[in-house]
Parts: sequence; C-alpha cells; structure tokens
Amino acid sequence: MTGTSALRGVAAAARFEAATLRRSPDDLMALLNAPLLAVMFLAITRHAHRGDLAGYAVLAPAVITVWAMGLLVSGEIIDQERWNGTLEAMLATPTPLQVVVLGRVAVVTAISLLSIVESWLVARVGFGVAIAVPHPGIFAVTLLCTGLAMAGTATAMAGTFVLARSARTFQNSLSYPFYVLGGALVPVALLPGWLQPACRVVFLSWATDLLRDALAPAAVPHLLPRLAAVLGLGVLGWLAGFAMLDRILDRVRRTGTLAHA
Amino acid sequence: MPEPRSGRAAGTLLVLRYSAASAFADFSTIYTWRTWTLGWLSRVLCQVAFFALIGRLLGAPEQGRFLLVGNAVMIAALESMFVVASTTWERRAGTLPLLLAAPTEPALVFAGRSVQWLASGSATAIISLCGLGLAFGLPLHLTTVLAAVPLVVLVSVSTYCFALVPAALVLRVMQLRNVVANLTMLTMMTFCGVQVPTTFWPGWVQGVASALPLTHGLAAVRAALAGADWSAVLPQVGAEVALAAGWLAAAVLAFRRLAEHGRRDGSIEFGD
Amino acid sequence: MAEPPPPAVSAGQLTRTFQRTRKAAPVAALDRLDLTIDAGEIHGLLGPNGAGKTTLCKILATVLLPTAGTASVLGHDVVTSTAVVRRLIGIVFGGERGLYGRLTARQNLRYWSALYRQPAADGRARADRLLDRVGLADRADDRVETYSRGMKQRLHLARGLIGDPRVVVLDEPTTGLDPVAAREFRALVTELRAEGRTVLLTTHDMAEAEAICDRVSLIDGGRLLATEDPRTIGRWLSTYERVQATGVPPQLAAQLAELPGVAAVLDQPGGGIRVETDAPGAAGLVLRRLLDAGVTAVGTARPSLEEVYLHVIGQRGLRV
Repeated sequence: MTGTSALRGVAAAARFEAATLRRSPDDLMALLNAPLLAVMFLAITRHAHRGDLAGYAVLAPAVITVWAMGLLVSGEIIDQERWNGTLEAMLATPTPLQVVVLGRVAVVTAISLLSIVESWLVARVGFGVAIAVPHPGIFAVTLLCTGLAMAGTATAMAGTFVLARSARTFQNSLSYPFYVLGGALVPVALLPGWLQPACRVVFLSWATDLLRDALAPAAVPHLLPRLAAVLGLGVLGWLAGFAMLDRILDRVRRTGTLAHA
Repeated sequence: MPEPRSGRAAGTLLVLRYSAASAFADFSTIYTWRTWTLGWLSRVLCQVAFFALIGRLLGAPEQGRFLLVGNAVMIAALESMFVVASTTWERRAGTLPLLLAAPTEPALVFAGRSVQWLASGSATAIISLCGLGLAFGLPLHLTTVLAAVPLVVLVSVSTYCFALVPAALVLRVMQLRNVVANLTMLTMMTFCGVQVPTTFWPGWVQGVASALPLTHGLAAVRAALAGADWSAVLPQVGAEVALAAGWLAAAVLAFRRLAEHGRRDGSIEFGD
Repeated sequence: MAEPPPPAVSAGQLTRTFQRTRKAAPVAALDRLDLTIDAGEIHGLLGPNGAGKTTLCKILATVLLPTAGTASVLGHDVVTSTAVVRRLIGIVFGGERGLYGRLTARQNLRYWSALYRQPAADGRARADRLLDRVGLADRADDRVETYSRGMKQRLHLARGLIGDPRVVVLDEPTTGLDPVAAREFRALVTELRAEGRTVLLTTHDMAEAEAICDRVSLIDGGRLLATEDPRTIGRWLSTYERVQATGVPPQLAAQLAELPGVAAVLDQPGGGIRVETDAPGAAGLVLRRLLDAGVTAVGTARPSLEEVYLHVIGQRGLRV
C-alpha cells in the first residue's frame, strides 16, 4: 500500500471517528466524568491541608480519562464493526484494517487528552488554584508519549476483546486495577514492594511519575530512559495489536465466524 | 368486585417475587461465580483500595481509613445506580408495552426487575469493608461489623429507591442512561461524605446532599464502626429510611407519568 | 488472434465447509460448485435459504476463503490476488445492518470511498453523484438511522458502487422491501448492465429472477442444479400453479382429479380443497370447471421455490 493512500485511509478513519464520537454520549462519558473526579481529588487534598499535592489531584483525572477511553472506546472498535454488520464490508476494501484502527484510535486518544484542560480549569475556577508547570516542554512531550503509548495499548485491547471472547466480561474490571498499578494518583513508589514489578510493566506508571516530576520545580532525573520506557511499552502494544488484527482477519476469512456478533 | 386488602398485598408480593426471579436469571447470564469474583469483585476491591491508598500519599493513615469506609459503602450505592441502565433493558426487549398494559403499578415491576444489584452491591461493599479494612488496619470488632452490615444494606436499598426516579425519566431518552447513571453516581461520591466530610462543602451543597441517599446512611456506618451507641446512629438511620420512602413515592409517580405520557404520545414501542 | 476476455466470475469445484462446533460434523455450504458468469450480464442465483448463495458472495468478495476449488473475478484468483479483486468487485449485502446509523448518508459514502482509495475530491463528487442516482439526494444529510428500509437498501447499493466496481454482487437485495420499492430497486439494477458492469444477483424470489436476469442459475445444498433462461422459470411458475376452493361437492372434486395436468386434489384442514397442477394452463382448466359448477370461492397461488425445486429435481432425476 502506498504512503499517500495509507495516509488517506488514516485521515478518513479519523474523520469517521470524530463524527461518530460527537453523537455517542456513552463514548464521551469519560470526558464528562473528569471534572467531577478533579473536584473529588482536589477536595481530598485540600481537606488534608496538602495544597502541595494539588498538581497530583489535577493530573489523576486526566490519566484516568485517557485510560478509560482507551479501554472502553478504542477497545471496542472492532467489536462495534461486528455488531454493526460492517466488518466484512470493511475487509472487502483495499484498505488494511490496521490503517482504519490507527486513525480511529488516534482520534479517541487525542480527544481523551482534552481532560487535562478540564482538570486544570476545575482547579482554577472551582478551587482558585493555578497549577504551575515548571517544565512545560517535558510535560508536553510526556503527555504526547503517553497518548502514543495509550493508542498502542488500546489497539492491543481492541484485538484482545475480539480474539478472547471471555475477555470482554472483564473489560469493566480493567479500570481501577490499572489506576492503582499505573500510579494515577498515588505514585507507585508508595505501593507495597511486591506490586512494584507489576507496576513497572504498565506504561502508565512511568508516564505518571514523569508528569508529576514535570510539575515539580526540581530538575527531572533520567528523562530519556523513562520516556523510552513509556514509548517502548506502547510500541509493544502496537505490535501486539497489529498482530492480533492480522489474526482476526485471518480467522474471519478462514472460519466465517467472528464477523457477526 | 374490589380485591380484599390481603389479596392486593399478596398480589404485590407475587409481582415482586417474579420480577426479582427474572432479574436474578438475567444476572446469572452475565456472571458466573467465577467471573463475578475475578471480574467484578476484584475491580471493586481495587476501586476501594485506590482511594484508601491516598492515605499513604497524604501521610495521614486516619484519612486513609476515612476514605476506605466511605468508598466501601459507596460500592453499595454504586451498584444500586445500575438500575438506571437495567430498566432500559425492558424497553429494548420490547416488553415495556406489555408490562404497562398489565393491571399492575408499573413502578412495582421495575422495582423488582433489578433487585440483583441490591444483593451484589451489599455483598461487595461488605467484603471490601472487611477485607480491605483488615489490610489497612481499620479497627474491626465483630459487634461493630455486625452493626454496620444492615446499615450497608440500608444504603443499598435507599439508593435503589432514589435511582428508580432517574430510571423512569431515562426510559424516554435511552441513549443517556449510562451518562445519567454515572454522573449521578459520581456526584454522590463527591458530595455525600464519601471522600471528605460533608461539612467541607458550602451550605447549599450540604443541603442537597442531605436530600440524597447515602449521606445519612454512610454517617450511620461511620458512627457504628467507631463504636458509637444507638442514640448517635438511630437519627441517621431514621433520616435515611425516610428519604428512601420519599424517593420511592417519587418513583411511583414518575413511572405512572411515564406510562400516561407514553399512552398519549404513542412513544411506547413494541420493539425499539 | 486476440484472446477472449475472461469471464466476469468463474468458480471451479468451489467448496466451502463450516464447522460450527468442534464436535459437530462439518457442513458443506458449497459443494463442488461450478459457475461461469459472462461479462456484462445480469446473472441470477436462485435458491432457498441455506443454499449457499451468501457463502458464494462472500468468497467472491474475498471475505471468506474457499476450503477447496477455485474462484476468480475477471481472471484474478480471489485467494491469491485479493488486492486486485477488491478493487474490481462491489458487494451489497443488504438488510438493516451494514451501515453507520449515526452518520449521514453522505458521510457514509465519503468514508467508504476513502477506504476504496479514492482521493478526497473524487470521493466527494462520486458520493454526490451516487446519492442522486439512487434518489437519496434530498435526504443525504440525515442520519441513516432515520431512514426507512427501502432507503437503507438504496444506500447499500450506492455503497456497493462507490468503488466503481466492474462486478457488482447483490445478496438478496430486495428482501423486506415493499413491492414499489423493490421495483424501483430492480430498475436501478438494470441500469448497471447498461454501464457495462456485470451483476450477480442472489434471490429466492422466482418472479424477480425472471424479471431482470439474463440467465439464472439454480443452486441448492451448495451445488449448482442448472442454469436456465428466465423464460423457463416463467414456465415453471405457470406450470406448478395451484387452485384453492371451498364449498366443492365431493363429486366435483373427483372430476377435477381426472382433468389433464392435475397432479393432485388435496383436502384442506378446515374445509375446502387444493388442486395442484403440473402442466401449463391446467390451472385455467380447473378454474373454468369450478366456475361453471357455480363454485365462486376460488383462488390461485404460485408455487414456492421449494415446490418448484422438488418438481424440477424429480423430473430430471437429479440427485440432491
């Protein structure tokens, strides 16, 4: 497939996702939850007289929203095509499924990142706290890498939920365990020692630590290796996801099942 | 010929029993014991733990235990909120007009239809409270826990009664059911004394929270776990029971109005 | 001397089995099917439900792999040259699903055009032209979930044509349409032939097959039974008609059984009789005899596809 037609496919899928999301209140729900979560966390920190943790309280809803939308929206992309009866029609086009998934996951991830703005506004308007970002460049780059890694992980989720039918029963249970393991609000360093290895395999734990460091005045240590960890784990997700999409296509063509829900 | 009083009551119970049976039947098609434990219960435990761990971040273990109790009891309320979504299953299954055509109070059927959440919510809340309580050093004695259990069930029931109101309203705008359920649940989670005492919030917010379920019930649980005697707990219990009754009455009216409006504008379909 | 152009569709000993569960025996949806469709014709594939029509459509669309045998579209093998075939073929599955309900018709078509690798400007123009053509231009910016069944079917057709395919496969496209909508749809299909496209139309409606197809292939149990001229089908329809009547005295019923071309006179539950014929014009004879005898509660009916099959297969001694 040529480069331009691949880009065209990605752009079309992205436009499609944006148009669909706009009319799916369920899919945008995480964005509606984010401000309430921000109020919750800011209240907790203020009540405990820990104003220094306001940055943590603002970051957590964004991390939660990015993961939640990846899990619940991106993760269902293939399943949605099945329920809609369009999966086979899509297979019949010259555009590879991976291209379509890429475009759609990218849009979902980008929109989910808007939650950081919501969070920041809640702190500013509701609690009169303006969160300062001493390392804006690092913060932005880390946020971008988090988005990329989430897109990769979400692609793997989309494949898993189709290939392993029982996995969908657990879809709702993959939220909070990862907020804990990923250090969304409480840094993983504060978790019991036996959890640490599990945490380090989740890209979120690296990303959240970096984001919190970017909100602190001190210099950010070991920036590049930690960014590499985030991206590396995300790339693993991409690769697994694309491989799974291939398996799905193969299974649809060989067995004729999987195409319908 | 009008039914004798005893006949009406028996009839009501029968409706409740049958709708409850169908509710549990639905539930068992979604979950087996294994998936309920691995899937749902583990997520619930992680959710409560997520908040309890904030105590470590704050360096305030007392705060952590406050968060633990609040979020554990919140689970009971959270599952009761599912009724907002599960009543719409009725509409999707196309059984709504059949139900409304039957000579029964519509609220009754919907009330019984989703009781599985009461059982599941109470169970997961109590398991979280005791299990994680032990892990996080919450002082638990048999007497205080036994006192807390019925109070958790009360929270589950009162939230259920409250949730029947948005459940009725949302039957007309089905696509918003999850959004409504979630936002209501998060609002309760923020303002009803789960994360911070209600006194943290401005007066008018406290006023609204007092009219919602969970606020008084949770306060009762906290008091019971702290070993307070009945004079401290009972007023809160009374308030919670009164609220439950009030919201249930509102729900009955809401469902009646739904039926009437549906009959008038023909929006009750046999298969949406 | 130039080589003759390849047939639009060619299937050789095409076989496809399905294994529903691990313990069940495999089911052959297609059983050594041989089929040739010439370029530029409207070819009907007639068969009851479960005959294998949809399976064949999916294999041609490269969405399903055959278990054995070959299939090719305009000379390109569907298994080895999927990229080429996908650009040549357009498939219309039909039904309520298969469209993006939350988007408008225009958005749907533009999206599919991009998936068929058309540049954005071309895609937009093409979508507009197709919407015009199928008569959806004034509802083009309404959400598809608000469309009627007939409108959705027309949008399905537009979607199948968006990639400018040489071969168009229509899988039971008029099922569920009211007669007016079905007729309009068929008119659209005949236009496709005028454009030089080849059309494969699957249906279980014999009247439809007779009305628009150049040739009709009969398929059942995954096998090709025969390929016929549509006029043959018309003959079958009139040959195997049946007559229903109530209030027929038994002696008259016995007389009817003796008429030439009457296959059977059966008693109906709830009174009345049904007369089955197996020769053209026999139904007319029966009707005249009934009316002459003063029986006016009469009606005729066309045979179902299954019944025609039974007769045809029985007559030709075909093994099923």
